[in-house]
Amino acid sequence: MGDGNPIISMHGIVKKFGGVVALNDVDLAAYPGEVLAIVGDNGAGKSTLIKILTGVYQPTEGRIELDQKPFEMSNHSDAIENGIDAVYQNLAIADHLTPAENLFLGAELTKSFAGIELLDNKTMKEQAIRVLKDRLGVQLKSMDVPTESLSGGQRQAVAIARAVRHDDLRVLVMDEPTAALGPQETARTLDLIKTLKTQGLAVIVISHSLDDVFEISDRIHVQRRGQCAGVVKTAETTNEEVLGMIVGTKTAA
Amino acid sequence: MNTTNTSSQTLSERAAPYVSFLGPMAMILAILLFMGVVEPARYFRLSNLNQILLDAALYMPMAMAMTFVITQRGIDLSIGSVAALSSIIMAFLIKQYGFPAWSAALIALCLGALMGLINGLVITKFKVPDLIGTLAMDLVYRGFALVIAKGLVLARFPDMITEIGRGQSLIFLPTPVVIGLITLVGGYVLLKSTYFGRYTIAIGSNPEASEMTGIAVDRHRVYAYVLMGAMAALAGIMLTGKLNAIQATSAPYFNLHVIAAVVVGGTSLFGGRASIVGSLAGVLLLSMMINALVTLRIEFFWQSVASGVVIIFSVALYTWLQKKDRDGAASLSATFKNPDNQKLAKMTALIAGAAIILSIISLLLGGDANPSG
Repeated sequence: MGDGNPIISMHGIVKKFGGVVALNDVDLAAYPGEVLAIVGDNGAGKSTLIKILTGVYQPTEGRIELDQKPFEMSNHSDAIENGIDAVYQNLAIADHLTPAENLFLGAELTKSFAGIELLDNKTMKEQAIRVLKDRLGVQLKSMDVPTESLSGGQRQAVAIARAVRHDDLRVLVMDEPTAALGPQETARTLDLIKTLKTQGLAVIVISHSLDDVFEISDRIHVQRRGQCAGVVKTAETTNEEVLGMIVGTKTAA
Repeated sequence: MNTTNTSSQTLSERAAPYVSFLGPMAMILAILLFMGVVEPARYFRLSNLNQILLDAALYMPMAMAMTFVITQRGIDLSIGSVAALSSIIMAFLIKQYGFPAWSAALIALCLGALMGLINGLVITKFKVPDLIGTLAMDLVYRGFALVIAKGLVLARFPDMITEIGRGQSLIFLPTPVVIGLITLVGGYVLLKSTYFGRYTIAIGSNPEASEMTGIAVDRHRVYAYVLMGAMAALAGIMLTGKLNAIQATSAPYFNLHVIAAVVVGGTSLFGGRASIVGSLAGVLLLSMMINALVTLRIEFFWQSVASGVVIIFSVALYTWLQKKDRDGAASLSATFKNPDNQKLAKMTALIAGAAIILSIISLLLGGDANPSG
């Protein structure tokens, strides 16, 4: 971590909504095989920051570099095409579709049948099983049930699998991945994040839970009132210090 | 991590995927058993079974299309008028302008699709809610049908039209049944193996997520209404052929009958859950029920009562089955202990009491009815 070059880096990012300055001169860098946690109070600019990182918003000022080359995104699809994707808090899953159908939603595989293009459900199911097993180590009891019948952690796995299905995925942003989960499911989701890290992905996690942050992250980026209050290495800091940075009673050394 | 074995599934959870099919099947069996006991001779005659299928066939194409509309959280109340208007125009083209039957029928299908397209645009572009939008368009289409046809009954059509409506193409299967079944098979393929079918479920299940995934939500909703319009027009042609006559006031209750069949078949009014097989079962169930009422010589007007009751019971049943947590509603006595329910019970008693007391007083006072004026 910290060694080598970042996959993506943001420099001097400013974002204004009308007269409101949501982000003021923020830097951020994501390295392969590293989990970067973003913490901060409500309204500190965490969401705005990752929305700029994933192409949903465009910065008012500042520049983004991908592999140290200038990089501009005009929408979320640009981000996905360049290997950057996000798993949102509400997971964006269609509950009535099966896990495989959700994995390929909006990007279905097709086959030609008598000149007519039909969905290739069999191949999609096989690939979904493979992605879940090989990349995430998850085996669902049945792939033919609606996703709503799965547990919170399994649904999380389906949402993550949708992002990692693309072999060229390099940066995965996760917004509050454990917010809606019980203790057991939280542990499983944290394991998933560790698995992704060992596969060389840059994982960026937004979280309110400092316990989770200290368990999985390598570095912690603290946002406070639209500015970066500091970036610390997880191994070299304490819960109290990070908390102090979040509320503004301490500054990074 | 291994996420296998999250406690064994309960029976209802494992049965859930089949409920849509089992529900109507159980009701169909119940009707068969009942009629087998009460009136076997007339109900199970071959000609009567043929009649049931013939009645059901009319609703099959519309039930197929309505399955898509309802699965997307939509509803189409205009189908009766779409059927009437498109077949009135077809009738005029044939009778007054000498169009060949096949081209007039195809034009009617196109007109139906066009009316569906208008419905879809009203809903997606003008942002009029489905219920209000199609209810208003129902008035518009019915009005046009009345404007065009006045009070005329157009009758006596070429053989092709009557063949579509009541022919016996196969020895035992009437032509409309064959047409209906083909549309249902087509609908099944559409639902399982096309983008449209997949996105229909996704949109009904989670519209926001579908939008985020890049699905053209509004376009696919319009598609469903176009399909619905075309199928309503097809039903209009079948009805024209079946009666060998058509008028502007034909097909008044298509909408509720079809919605009932689809909902009874297990397609969820809350979106996301679709069952084409269930819709077929629902259509058969309603036709068998209505036929049973006729066979039992129960007055025609009771059909409306029966259809309404069936809709309420099936929706209530599916809602109850959907509910995962039934702890709160354990016993009947607990229901009555709830203060809100007690107040409702008091109000029910009050209203019923008022009606009864007023009736008794009126009976005691008695007297002739003196019409005013």
